[in-house]
Amino acid sequence: MSKTLTLSLSLATITLTTALATTTVLAETPSWCGPKQASLALLDGFGGNSWRLVTTASGKEEAAKCPSITQYEYADGQGNTQKAISDINSMAARGINAMVVFGDAGPAVLPALTNAHKAGTIVVPYRVNVGGEEGVNYAKFIGSSFVEDGKSWGNWIKTNLPDGGNVLFLSGPAGNSQGLDELEGMKSVLDDKYVFINQEPFAVTNWDPSLTQQVLSAEIAKNDKIDVIVSDFGPSLVGALPVFAEFKRSIPMLATSDGNSLSCFWAQNHEANPDFKLFTVATGNDNVRLAVQWAVALATDGTPPADNIFKAPVYEDSVSGTPNPVTCRDDLPGSIYLSAEMADDAQAAAVGQ
Amino acid sequence: MAQGMQAATAQGGFGLTQVRLARGFVTVVVSTVLLLLVCLVFAPSAVSAGGLAGSLPFAAVIAIVGLGQMLVVQQGGFDLSLAGGVSLAVVVTTHLSGGNDADLLSSVMIAFGFALVAGCVNGILVGVIRLNAIIATIGMNALLYGAVFAVSGGVPRITTPLMAEIAGGKTFGLPNSVLFAVVIMVVVSFVLKASVAGRRFEAIGANPQAAHAAGLPVRRYQAAAYVLAQLLYCVAGVLISGITREPTAFQGDSLLLPSVAVVVLAGTSLLGGRGFPISTVIAAFFLNQLSQFALAVGVPFSAQTIIQALALVFGIGVYSVHFKRAATNRATMSNSEETDDV
Repeated sequence: MSKTLTLSLSLATITLTTALATTTVLAETPSWCGPKQASLALLDGFGGNSWRLVTTASGKEEAAKCPSITQYEYADGQGNTQKAISDINSMAARGINAMVVFGDAGPAVLPALTNAHKAGTIVVPYRVNVGGEEGVNYAKFIGSSFVEDGKSWGNWIKTNLPDGGNVLFLSGPAGNSQGLDELEGMKSVLDDKYVFINQEPFAVTNWDPSLTQQVLSAEIAKNDKIDVIVSDFGPSLVGALPVFAEFKRSIPMLATSDGNSLSCFWAQNHEANPDFKLFTVATGNDNVRLAVQWAVALATDGTPPADNIFKAPVYEDSVSGTPNPVTCRDDLPGSIYLSAEMADDAQAAAVGQ
Repeated sequence: MAQGMQAATAQGGFGLTQVRLARGFVTVVVSTVLLLLVCLVFAPSAVSAGGLAGSLPFAAVIAIVGLGQMLVVQQGGFDLSLAGGVSLAVVVTTHLSGGNDADLLSSVMIAFGFALVAGCVNGILVGVIRLNAIIATIGMNALLYGAVFAVSGGVPRITTPLMAEIAGGKTFGLPNSVLFAVVIMVVVSFVLKASVAGRRFEAIGANPQAAHAAGLPVRRYQAAAYVLAQLLYCVAGVLISGITREPTAFQGDSLLLPSVAVVVLAGTSLLGGRGFPISTVIAAFFLNQLSQFALAVGVPFSAQTIIQALALVFGIGVYSVHFKRAATNRATMSNSEETDDV
């Protein structure tokens, strides 16, 4: 009797443990991760800055959530369009089941993506518009809502500068679609009381800190009154903002994207610059996670996410403190992004510090 | 006055030589003065104290890389490894110091060590083994960028506070980077124009065959040009790491064209010969001021690029006219000129 009871209890325990374990595994496996095994590649057009390193590490971290991904590869186009195209072709030839592509070169990589798509690879370009259309040239394009960023900046400017003022908008290379979309978003919110004092459509900085510094000093010299600066790459302003001191002027309001170095710069300088209010949107490293989720879902027969477009959330507001006050982590590298989902220490490791 | 010094230290005081030197100097000075006047009228902000304070550090960097390129061009060479040299100096200085002032000196010394090695390899390949300068330095540029990636993974760190103070600070109201450029210009001018080694260097650049016949170690001097150039690129890279608080790993890319442009604008022959350090530095100021003017008047970015390209064409045009007129003179005078003080 006693033996039977012991055996029964043991069996019940084993059954319960197995059931619980199964439930736990099921709960931890995201819905976008299906049962079919697949290999995944992340292809960068240019991987040589801290934003890309954190983004790459984020993509790998996201893919690791799905046990059906049996192989994970990465290739860096190093800013060379030919290499980027060659990377895409080579991954397709190796039989990789799914690829997530940051198509820095734009439509130049579309033929290679189309060939891979026709050869049966799940191709998911993200963030940079490569042209073409879904189902014909690739499986899915995961965009980023730069228009939303522009609206967020515009709304904050309206709240903190209700009577209008002079706006200086800095973006990257001439004519880049990100800057144009952001401007569209801002103009949908800001009326004629807000004058854009930069050349149309934005002051070109190539997202290069040196050029940013030269452009900003020229604009400050030219314009006696700058009420707010808008930039879509906040950390690149850190070297340039001290130029205001050369003109004995206070650093004005700043609407931009986040970065630890920028937050620390604000922490060190806002008291000496009473006009220096800071508002940031998340710089968008997690855009890659949505693209990975889509690629994995399509390759493993999982359930695709609900969103097609990554919307960078508002991150810091030095005025309202909502959703976050400006937070400097001077114990961590300046070149990490506290808005990213990836843990701070893991980001520090990703940027090699 | 400055060019007068160059002319006075030139060999023999030939009248025509002085006219040639004066023309190069006068061209760049007159152009700069005209540009400043145009700025005063149409874009006063470009010549305001604050505007100049913001832009002069970048003019200083162009001047320093221009002086390095000038040394190579004087020897009839061309150094395309400038971009890699500057970028490597930026990442070595920012990475190895790791934002820590205590490690700054050692990181800067290591950057100079890299520059010395790169310069020596360039010098041996071009000066001794006689490889084509463009091919050799393109290869070296690729190697240097390999080192940039190896050191940094393509991501430079934020500069140290001391470096920011040294390169980005001011002394007597002048940006320190400008003082660096002026000191380097004085040293280069003095060595080129007033030392035996410098005179030999110029003579070899003007006519290597004649210099060889005169018993000068031509290859050693030609190789030395690449070493000195790399050291100057390294100075520029170290300064950039302080001027730009969070530089990119590819900061040298945008300096190659301006470095050649200022050498040409200053009147140094692309076929080798005399170098004009003071004119080169003024040309750097001119080129930088041209960019500031374009920014200040708010012309589109495409037009800014075209304006800079036109400046280069202007420089080449002025030089070409000068070259044709002087060709016959040089043919008759070169022997006595090159051997005068060797």
